[in-house]
Amino acid sequence: MKAAPFAYVRPATLDDAVAELVRSAGEGKVLAGGQSLVPILAMRLARPSTVVDIAALSELDFVRRDGDELVIGALVRQRTLEGHPLAAAVPLLRLALPWIGHRELRSRGTVCGSIAHADPAAELPAVACCLGASLEIAGPHGRRTVTAAEFFHGAMATSVGAEDVLAAVRFPVARPGEGFGFAEIARRHGDFALAGVATRFRADDGEAAFTAFGVSDRPVTRDVTGLGDDEVADLARDLVDTAGDTHGSREYRQRLVAALAVRELARARRAAEGGTA
Amino acid sequence: MTLPRPVRAEAGEPVDVTMTVNGTEVSLSLPARVTLADALRDHLGLTGTHLGCEHGVCGMCTVLVDGSAARACLLFACQLDGADIVTVEGLGRPDDLHPLQEAFGSHHALQCGFCTPGFLLSSYDLLAHKPDVAEEDLPVELSGVLCRCTGYRNILSAVSEVAGAHRDGIPEPRNCGHHVLMGHTAAKPGAKSAPEPVGVEEIELPQGDPTFTVEVTQELTASPEKTWAVLDDIDLVAACLPGAEITEHLGDDRYRGQARVSVGPIRLSFAGLAQVTERDAEAHRLRVIGQGEDVGGGRTQAVILLVAEETGAGTRLRATAQVYLTGRIAQFGRALAGDVSRRMFEQFAAAVEETAVSGVRTTARKPPGALALLAATLAAKAREWGRRLRRAEHNPPTHPKGTQR
Repeated sequence: MKAAPFAYVRPATLDDAVAELVRSAGEGKVLAGGQSLVPILAMRLARPSTVVDIAALSELDFVRRDGDELVIGALVRQRTLEGHPLAAAVPLLRLALPWIGHRELRSRGTVCGSIAHADPAAELPAVACCLGASLEIAGPHGRRTVTAAEFFHGAMATSVGAEDVLAAVRFPVARPGEGFGFAEIARRHGDFALAGVATRFRADDGEAAFTAFGVSDRPVTRDVTGLGDDEVADLARDLVDTAGDTHGSREYRQRLVAALAVRELARARRAAEGGTA
Repeated sequence: MTLPRPVRAEAGEPVDVTMTVNGTEVSLSLPARVTLADALRDHLGLTGTHLGCEHGVCGMCTVLVDGSAARACLLFACQLDGADIVTVEGLGRPDDLHPLQEAFGSHHALQCGFCTPGFLLSSYDLLAHKPDVAEEDLPVELSGVLCRCTGYRNILSAVSEVAGAHRDGIPEPRNCGHHVLMGHTAAKPGAKSAPEPVGVEEIELPQGDPTFTVEVTQELTASPEKTWAVLDDIDLVAACLPGAEITEHLGDDRYRGQARVSVGPIRLSFAGLAQVTERDAEAHRLRVIGQGEDVGGGRTQAVILLVAEETGAGTRLRATAQVYLTGRIAQFGRALAGDVSRRMFEQFAAAVEETAVSGVRTTARKPPGALALLAATLAAKAREWGRRLRRAEHNPPTHPKGTQR
């Protein structure tokens, strides 16, 4: 359970980090919090030639409000955001963050790192999809912004290429009259979800959506505006795109995700109508 | 927290990292793939941090990094340049346990003890950040550490009791700041294979309570003046001390030297400094501070007071040593360490006597009678156990197990 040897680089600027990745010719890997990467290195599922630690990129160490978006730089840890006053503007983050791993993992794991890792059962990719967040990617040809819907290509596959760094994520802040819900089921609190959902509901026009995770190779979002509970449940069941495994059968996951979707949409609606997220 | 310095190291090439561990700044030079857990255990001798799964699931290796609990197996040590680390060794001392440690003991929350360091630091983080945590939330809040004895009930009771007693905040770790830890680093490529003696030129005065204190007196037939003549000559003192050797006089009564001690399979080789801080020819008092680093990452400091008192028939040589141990060496039973020190002093006193009486430097003295030391220590132990057993036949013990750990 020891990582294979790798060259270690800790550049001082984002441009240098990208240059290091270019130099490693597709064999480089970005390290931020490491809470997803290090286990993969320890099990030698990944053997990058170079690990580019972005810990010294002070330009990416920020949480800031930019108009109606909350922008979070790549160095921001999950626990930092949990306690950050600006994070209250995105209530779904407040609901979802405590579900990520355990306190011990959130104290090192980063928000952008979890999104870039794109585990299909992870919480933050689902939040990004549910809210329609956008992702800022820095690469050898400059910066580009990708929507969450386009960002996730499949299990652990995203728009972040081998020479790119996910520099920041932009979450839209909640508008008045918007409510949210979030829940997941795991064998132990903090383990990856067997199934989970993030939901949002807008009181003024009744717009409703949920994002299911842990049931397919990426988070899947459905607009369920105007649908009743049974229709939502049917829709959620159909999203399960995985066979059963030792942790739960396909049917069990279908029941979980249907029940969670209905329950958490109701929670979002109550929050929206009651004025509390 | 400051941002770490830029670094570039090829695969296998060591990376320099400076961090604070249990209040003491340490500098290490390690390959990038060495985890914090391995750096603590293998390079700093702090084996209280346990390793279970080594990929972040079990929580055995939980330590505090910049005040928050983190998995030491999911961090490369090189990532922690400038970070502040607290391990279970920093939480409390055997004679001054942290309230969490006390509570784990009184609630029988240890069982096999393997998960205990992880649970202590995880629950410390919880109570430090959420002192008002509700009892019913504890199972979820502490779910980051697994207990393979499944002794969760007692762990929850212990944490719950401490939470209730400290709603205004958990007391700080109790064993940070008075250690002298020194990184034990692999030789850099191209460097000489033999490690250089530590480049420490200043002796740091120990702070806090010593790991143990030894006080011994020995009656000598030599006169106090003759005894003092030996004590007054640092080379003679070193020659009388089993395994010790002065290698360099640095001036100002400061000396570089080395000492070898071996007890059974344990072999320690210290390189370090000694400084005479008090030399009173009239009162026949000599006070020496010694500081040494073992190649295995152990560190020891001692404040030794030697006094030669007139008794009429000769001299009573009195020695008081306050010994501070850190690193792997500190694992070695405190009681046994005290016994070994006592035996060493007896050998020292005998050598002083011999030198004082003969007036000749005894150069033939063998370095640390390792086996002899162990044999003497064990023989003394055996006698003590024999006495205890004989007593026990009359008074059966109330506690079936010994208290020595």
